[in-house]
Amino acid sequence: MSALRQIAFYGKGGIGKSTTSQNTLAAMAHYFDKNILIVGCDPKADSTRLILHEKAQSTILQLAAEMGTVEDLELEDACKPGAGIFAPGTPGGWINCTESGGPEPGVGCAGRGVITAINFLEEEGAYEEEGLNFVSYDVLGDVVCGGFAMPIREGKAQEIYIVMSGEMMAMYAANNISKGILKYANTGGVRLAGLICNARMTDREYDLAKELAKDLGTQMIHFVPRNNIVQHAELRRMTVVEYSPKSDQALEYKELARKIIANDMKIIPTPLEMDDLEDLLMKFGLEEEADEENIGKSAEA
Amino acid sequence: MFILGFHFPASMGNTIPDQVVVEKLDEELAKVGGIDGINEIKMYMTSRENQKEELSYTKKDTFMFKALVHYAKTAETDYMIYTNRYQIAELSKRLDGDDESMHMCKKFDSMSMFRIVAA
Repeated sequence: MSALRQIAFYGKGGIGKSTTSQNTLAAMAHYFDKNILIVGCDPKADSTRLILHEKAQSTILQLAAEMGTVEDLELEDACKPGAGIFAPGTPGGWINCTESGGPEPGVGCAGRGVITAINFLEEEGAYEEEGLNFVSYDVLGDVVCGGFAMPIREGKAQEIYIVMSGEMMAMYAANNISKGILKYANTGGVRLAGLICNARMTDREYDLAKELAKDLGTQMIHFVPRNNIVQHAELRRMTVVEYSPKSDQALEYKELARKIIANDMKIIPTPLEMDDLEDLLMKFGLEEEADEENIGKSAEA
Repeated sequence: MFILGFHFPASMGNTIPDQVVVEKLDEELAKVGGIDGINEIKMYMTSRENQKEELSYTKKDTFMFKALVHYAKTAETDYMIYTNRYQIAELSKRLDGDDESMHMCKKFDSMSMFRIVAA
């Protein structure tokens, strides 16, 4: 039996991380027979909705609050089998789903939910299920918060895929996440496994993403073109892989899934200094070189 | 590292020399019968604005021709995976340089969708 691989998808909020991760994991299960546990680490709890065909799964923190404490919680309460083609017993691999959850907006620490959830899942034996090939963490933000860095800090996720685009803030976030990986690379063994460009159709987006990947010491493992079928599938709370398995976009996710399964490039990243990142953005036309004397002046001035 | 869908081991780093990719392509192309008997690659391009265009590529002595034949012979469907197609253009710009290939590279650099048939 092959060793369990623990991977994580990180990226800026709103970049399409959960959509990309669910479609990719769906392809890994459906086309390549991989059995997967998804651990959603986003207070929005939307990391599993397309696999479960549900609005939002009850989270570990929610269930623990209802029961009084996390010790009263059973694994089957918090970990649900995927719906449709991802259910156990159907052809292809299966996917189990769990969401850490978080506090109400403005109250408490969201990262605590991640820590509580991972500890709970480990103690309850979720990672020891027979036939499990992959654990996948879908993590919010750019690891400024130590709680969200937990999967890499504790060495839980061994290979990190950063979902990004050719937009400036997505690139800043990708660089920040790389800094987080670098910080814990020697203590926890975490490695950067590649950038996934979820295309926004900005100018020279492919070249820009590839250049950033090269500078970070990694690869752009796949460029996912934009396609409306992703939104059509989401309206039905499905992945494209399930909604239209023979569609062009499903083939894109299948190719990404194939590459992740075969990927052996796991590196300690070399994050860019802020000046270098700005030079890169300037080189590809995302940022204009600012004339010192014009700083702070309005366009009309 | 993945180029044209081929896997290059991590020990080779994240910058694979073009010649290594060409050698890999030649090796894989030979396994599926090479380019013998194929004189034209037809492609159907659909732009983001849904404009359709039929394209023909016939420059047989190029990297692009070999890469397109290999793609057409081995792909699951006629849809061209964006990353692979962009990488074909990227390499062709460095390795080919003729007008017909450069014209195709320009098309491949767009966000249009392509379908491919080797005739």
